[in-house]
Amino acid sequence: MVVGCALMAFVPARPAAAQWLPDEPISIAGGHFVLGAEIVATVAPDDPGFFNYTSYEYSAIRNFRIGVAAEIRANDYLQVLGEVRLDQGRVFEAYGLFVRIRPWPNRRFDLQAGRIPPAFGAMTRSAYGSGNLLVGQPLAYQYLLSIRPDALPASADDLLRMRGRGWRSSFPVGNRAPAPGLPMINTSRWDTGVQAHAVNGMFEWTGAVTVGSLSDPRLHDNNSGKQVVGRVVARPSPALAVAVSASQGSWLDRSFDAQAVTRPRQTAVGGDAEFSAGRILIRGEAIRSSWTMPEISAPLIDRPLVATSLLLEGRYKIAPGAYVAARGDRLDFSDIMGSRGRTPWDADVWRVELGGGYSVTRNILAKGAWQRNRRDGGRVPADSMVSAQVLYWF
Amino acid sequence: MVLRGLGLPSALLGLALIIDPTSAASQPQAPASGGIRGRLDIRRLAKPVERRPDVAAPGSPGPRDVPDLRRGLVYLDTAPRSAFDEREPGRAVMDQRHERFVPHLLAVMVGTLVDFPNSDLTYHNVFSLSRAQRFDLGRYAAGRSKAVRMDRPGVVRVFCDIHSHMNAFIVVFNHPFFDVTDVEGRFELPSVPAGTYTLVGWYEGEARTTRAVVVPPAGWAEVEMVVP
Repeated sequence: MVVGCALMAFVPARPAAAQWLPDEPISIAGGHFVLGAEIVATVAPDDPGFFNYTSYEYSAIRNFRIGVAAEIRANDYLQVLGEVRLDQGRVFEAYGLFVRIRPWPNRRFDLQAGRIPPAFGAMTRSAYGSGNLLVGQPLAYQYLLSIRPDALPASADDLLRMRGRGWRSSFPVGNRAPAPGLPMINTSRWDTGVQAHAVNGMFEWTGAVTVGSLSDPRLHDNNSGKQVVGRVVARPSPALAVAVSASQGSWLDRSFDAQAVTRPRQTAVGGDAEFSAGRILIRGEAIRSSWTMPEISAPLIDRPLVATSLLLEGRYKIAPGAYVAARGDRLDFSDIMGSRGRTPWDADVWRVELGGGYSVTRNILAKGAWQRNRRDGGRVPADSMVSAQVLYWF
Repeated sequence: MVLRGLGLPSALLGLALIIDPTSAASQPQAPASGGIRGRLDIRRLAKPVERRPDVAAPGSPGPRDVPDLRRGLVYLDTAPRSAFDEREPGRAVMDQRHERFVPHLLAVMVGTLVDFPNSDLTYHNVFSLSRAQRFDLGRYAAGRSKAVRMDRPGVVRVFCDIHSHMNAFIVVFNHPFFDVTDVEGRFELPSVPAGTYTLVGWYEGEARTTRAVVVPPAGWAEVEMVVP
């Protein structure tokens, strides 16, 4: 007599199709060499307003990226970390490569030197698919402003003519060829320098000296000056992190040194906070950045160019492996006096992005988002688009 | 009354059948019970999952403990029908301590309520996307605990959404004939009705070895199993 009964349901934890993919970092030589990767495919329709383009001249939401990170753990005192990325199947770069020294293994104090990760701001991880709640990136970390390190507007009118055209701006002084402008904070490239990091109770401190600037991180110095960056994070409870960041550094190519009385600088301050509890995650960030410019001809750019970024984003987990997310994002620019009166030096931009994600497995995530951009100028003042992203990591 | 498989490992089929060797005319009588004990010899221990290289971090992460991977699991592939009698649901604990789940391997019966206290000072977010049990407990801080009732048999892989190296197994049975070994590999399955069974040695997500075992009416059947 047979009585049917389910006994053990040893179904695999992963779908069969995904079983051959690694789901944890590859560890070699007893953990001395560890390899991880993130592969991200992002699709979206054409972006005629270039709202999502990066300084590498491709759209952040139309990309196929393979990123491989490696860590060599020589001992408790010394590690070497590096990351290479292939974007669009053609842009290959050693994104980060640095040595990390921990002088006292039992203390959380590290020195890093080389091509180091950005220290400023809360959203630098949004360049990673797994570090981004949505598909698009925050405006402050991606949207291209009209200013360039290798070309200068001779007058305020030259600058105002390029409002909303950061994707391909051109100026009469320096390199006259049209080229992409700079974002407020560039996370498409990392800077070169030294960094110190410490954790002391509820506080986390990071300071760095680099050759580039927030907007224009450099592999080689081009600006005859150094940037100083600092960030302090306070975690009064696990639910809340509050941080301030500040930086100042030279940003303009040294070929313009003769045109400037004082060395042109980018100066930025920012504050951010993150609250999370249960299924909710909320982040907010405000950044103010200014760039000083040489005064060449009338009407003069006689004040620093200021950009202000405000961001608020959140995530709510609606079910195991599924979440919805939203981000509101804004860039405002200070006024300058041109021949036709006072006008913001670049076109103010707003972005709203709504979306969600579903984890097929722990390390395969599918995301979808709808994005609305609006700009107070430029050839395409507004645009909406839907994007989708699949990412896999180990 | 004895359960027998279909000739294929039930671990792969996800299904077994209860087979009653006595006819309907047989007189019911309490089966004599013995037990199975022995050692599961894990020859090559799994390596703890390393942290992902976090190149974007400004410094090293804090210290963590590595999970104890010396324990395996031994269970009967098929079980006596009496094993499926209604039982009082149990309660078990899987702690989160120094960025690891403790224990790394937990075996429970269906209906067991598993508590997940957070004993770290940082947030954790326990979740599982396993078919046997999908859940996401969200973020909660030190001193707090949330619980999940294990409703279906199967393997539940448990992770932390914040610390990707944290992982653990909960294996859920609908019979009581299983045992997580000690660090030496020793196990005991007491009170097993006399009969012939298939004993399975399981380690880190897979049934690695099986062995036919005859349980005497009284006393222990001694078994040595090797996970190569």
